[in-house]
Amino acid sequence: MSDQVAPSEDQSRGLIKSTQELGAGLFLIAIALFFYWQGLDLPRGSLRALGPGMLPLALVTLLGVGGLMMVIFSLFEVGPRLERWSLRGPFFVFGGIILFALLIRTCGLMVAGPVSMIFGMMASDEFELKEATIFSVAMTIVCILLFKTLLRLPIPVIGTLLEPFFPF
Amino acid sequence: MEAFLGNLALGFGVALTLNNIFLCFVGCMVGTLIGVLPGVGPIATIAMLLPITFGFDPTGALIMLAGIYYGAQYGGSTTAILVNIPGEATSVVTVLDGHQMAKQGRAGVALGMAAMGSFFAGTVATLFIAALGQPLTKLAQLFGPAEYFSLMIMGLVFAVVLARGSILKAMCMILLGLLLATVGTDLETGQERMTLGIQDLSDGVDFAVLAMGIFGFAEIVRNLENPETRDVVRAAIGRLWPSKDDFRQSYFPILRGTLIGAVLGILPGNGAVLGPFASYTVEKKIAKDPKRFGRGAIEGVAGPESANNAGAQTAFIPLLTLGIPPNAVMALMVGAMTIHGIIPGPQVMTKNPELFWGMVASMWIGNLMLVIINLPLIGLWVKLLQVPYRMMFPAIMIFCCIGIYSINNSTSDVLFTAFFGLVGYTLLKFGFEPAPMLLGFVLGKLMEEKLRQALILSRGSFSTFIERPVSAGLLLVAVVMLAIALLPSIQKGRDEVFTE
Amino acid sequence: MKKLVLALAATAMMTGAAQAQSYPNRPVTMIVPFAAGGPTDIVARIVGEHMSKTLGQQIVVENVAGAGGTTGITRAAQSKNDGYTIMMGHMGTHGAAPALYANLKYDPVKDFEPVGMAAGTPILIVGKKNFPAKDLKEMMAYLKANADKVNQAHAGIGAVSHMTCIMFNSQLGIKPTAVPYSGTGPALNDLVSGQVDYMCDQIVNLVQQIKAGSIKAYAIATPVRSPALPDVPTTVEAGMPDYQVTAWNAIFAPKDTPKEIVTGLTDALNKALDDEATKGRLLELGGVLPTKDERGGKWLGEFVGKEVARWTPVLKDAPK
Repeated sequence: MSDQVAPSEDQSRGLIKSTQELGAGLFLIAIALFFYWQGLDLPRGSLRALGPGMLPLALVTLLGVGGLMMVIFSLFEVGPRLERWSLRGPFFVFGGIILFALLIRTCGLMVAGPVSMIFGMMASDEFELKEATIFSVAMTIVCILLFKTLLRLPIPVIGTLLEPFFPF
Repeated sequence: MEAFLGNLALGFGVALTLNNIFLCFVGCMVGTLIGVLPGVGPIATIAMLLPITFGFDPTGALIMLAGIYYGAQYGGSTTAILVNIPGEATSVVTVLDGHQMAKQGRAGVALGMAAMGSFFAGTVATLFIAALGQPLTKLAQLFGPAEYFSLMIMGLVFAVVLARGSILKAMCMILLGLLLATVGTDLETGQERMTLGIQDLSDGVDFAVLAMGIFGFAEIVRNLENPETRDVVRAAIGRLWPSKDDFRQSYFPILRGTLIGAVLGILPGNGAVLGPFASYTVEKKIAKDPKRFGRGAIEGVAGPESANNAGAQTAFIPLLTLGIPPNAVMALMVGAMTIHGIIPGPQVMTKNPELFWGMVASMWIGNLMLVIINLPLIGLWVKLLQVPYRMMFPAIMIFCCIGIYSINNSTSDVLFTAFFGLVGYTLLKFGFEPAPMLLGFVLGKLMEEKLRQALILSRGSFSTFIERPVSAGLLLVAVVMLAIALLPSIQKGRDEVFTE
Repeated sequence: MKKLVLALAATAMMTGAAQAQSYPNRPVTMIVPFAAGGPTDIVARIVGEHMSKTLGQQIVVENVAGAGGTTGITRAAQSKNDGYTIMMGHMGTHGAAPALYANLKYDPVKDFEPVGMAAGTPILIVGKKNFPAKDLKEMMAYLKANADKVNQAHAGIGAVSHMTCIMFNSQLGIKPTAVPYSGTGPALNDLVSGQVDYMCDQIVNLVQQIKAGSIKAYAIATPVRSPALPDVPTTVEAGMPDYQVTAWNAIFAPKDTPKEIVTGLTDALNKALDDEATKGRLLELGGVLPTKDERGGKWLGEFVGKEVARWTPVLKDAPK
């Protein structure tokens, strides 16, 4: 990442010298606060008898301090800007995975495979429905042969909802 | 010496029967296959194949299962190098330089060097087990909770050195990893910690779930948004075979890695996991130009891979001589042995010498087979990189989903992986590296457990860590290493400290 | 469209009905609520292998570990009661769980159709090699006198070694320092190297270490000695007759699984327990098999009720 440091127009930046560093710091602080809030109820115990909450509290504090340091540095240290965020990739890829999770038990790999793969493939700008359909169906068959037949993993192929239609 | 040779002869006599060679081959094949498939781990597969081994004699069954285990270790490195997904904690390090090499068209070289380093390490480790297995277990017994805690602290120092960019960012990632490791049921009180009330989190986050999300899925999304990075992988594929120069650079890292891995693997508290990290740290620290590390340095593949394989083999020592499984796969091996009527423990060596020495000998044969199976495959693996990315990523996706699901037959694990993918993507955007976080996560669980055990045993006195000589020694090494890691950069001025 | 859906539903119901008649016509899933390789998993796989032969369909073991086994049992309890999902329950999930987990989503007594007891593994009381006590009586005296000094290991809250040692301690009336480990392996390691003083666990985990002399066995918590360790006295002989604990494993089906199916499964289980090879395997583990009276669903149902009643007060009062 450090390869991209310091493009030439950096001198002209305003108060914040590195938006990436600022974002990183704020993100860490947010995580620290979240975990602090989650761990509030845990008994901390004492140094002589550590409770469940002691270590998380220490880690959260250090993480928060780290984040704060980053925020401060971002004001003085010239560094990379925040990159552009895409929505398409995350939406379709993570959406595809979520679809897999939702479908695998009920409809089995038979359905979950193609559906999640086709949905995921839409993340690519080279997406073509026909190609994606053929590819995902073929991959699903490969997966069934590989995981079910060869490796004998107990992965549902048909699924509980569709089972009554396959009385064999 | 005579006894040693006699034992080895006995072992090879058992392992070289046609039947056992065949089982060893099948094990290595299946192991390589599941190792290469991202997300599918050896645990699920060994569990599923257990019933098939019911019909075999115990030695044959164990030879096959052991073959699956180190085959999977080996195949895991292939995936780490090719698609940047570490299937196991021990291949996190391979990802760093291995995948960079692949991006530079040197995937074949990386794979070849990994194969040869592993074979060398496997050979040495086999001899090591045969010669020193029994006496070394005494050493392992010196390690109580306090010693393990100090060892983990040393491991955390490795993580700082692992970092490629900003040290501050690396430290924060380690902290985040440690924090994630605290999620789940508290060991001592049984209280649920930071599980957000989700029952599936009550046993904490699974390593594969985190690694697959943070590395695998985050990488996919990142590759999709800038076509240049994904095309690099497909661009000019260089030589398939390491050159003389590559070999020259790798001799000593392989030797050192083997030694480090073999020693750490003996520790019954899963010391093997530290091997690759330790080896990487050593190589980076003694290299003339540490900046090459993380950008495709061959030493960063050869050393850790050797350490990984050596550790994977010597991890059998605590299992076979003490009956204590150092990790989840070994725990499963205990189950497998038990089903076959052999309960692993200090007596296996004297009561079932054919089994013990047969297994030791089969390890070496297995390593030889892995080289034979894998060297011709390198060409194929490299060709796989030329598959268009629009087809490669859905394939990785579905393999990971199936693999994650089959770890514990749980759909929520799959959902968590998607979540961690999103987190990983965000972290990448903010310029964080995932490797230190994974190491923090791996060490975190053990570290807290050992810290609290040590403090319970000492009735709350921290001086236990200094009063015990082994523990004090380890802490001293950690402090010295940290100083070596930080000092040169501090002298160079703050600018350099945070970008190295 | 509506007609089509109705027709489909009708065929579904008919095939469903046909299925019940010729049970089983596809593989049966047995959920094991612990990781593969542990004692419960091993019992499930050994028994399951023979039951598959009787049923004519494979029994596929599915490991769903988590939260002391309650994750897997919760899932199994909620699955379809058509006989195609059964489970291997355990002393923890069907005895101790109600006391240990406040928001348990099932009732061990009411939410299951008991199929039958499979096999149990007896509990042993063991100490480190140089523990200063010759026999159980001396050990009890030593523990009472030094309760603030001794360290007892266990494999985590909800583990067999945790529950059974609480029972042991509460019968002795002591509250020693408990050192939690993340599994039997690490706990045993520290017992062998003498970091901790004593623990209680299943015989299968300990037998080799005892034979090798790296730890000392004080008593076995069953009425008769185990053939795997004939020199170890029972708690009755050694002076603590009330301490009777076996980590039992038993097969259950979800609530309201058809009676014929449950009986069929019970028969298959009994056939497996009568088979010499299967029996041999289980005995090699140091396991105890149910006697003729202890077989079948009715006995198991009553037994579960007694276990819940026995564990609840012990665990509720115990220091966690």
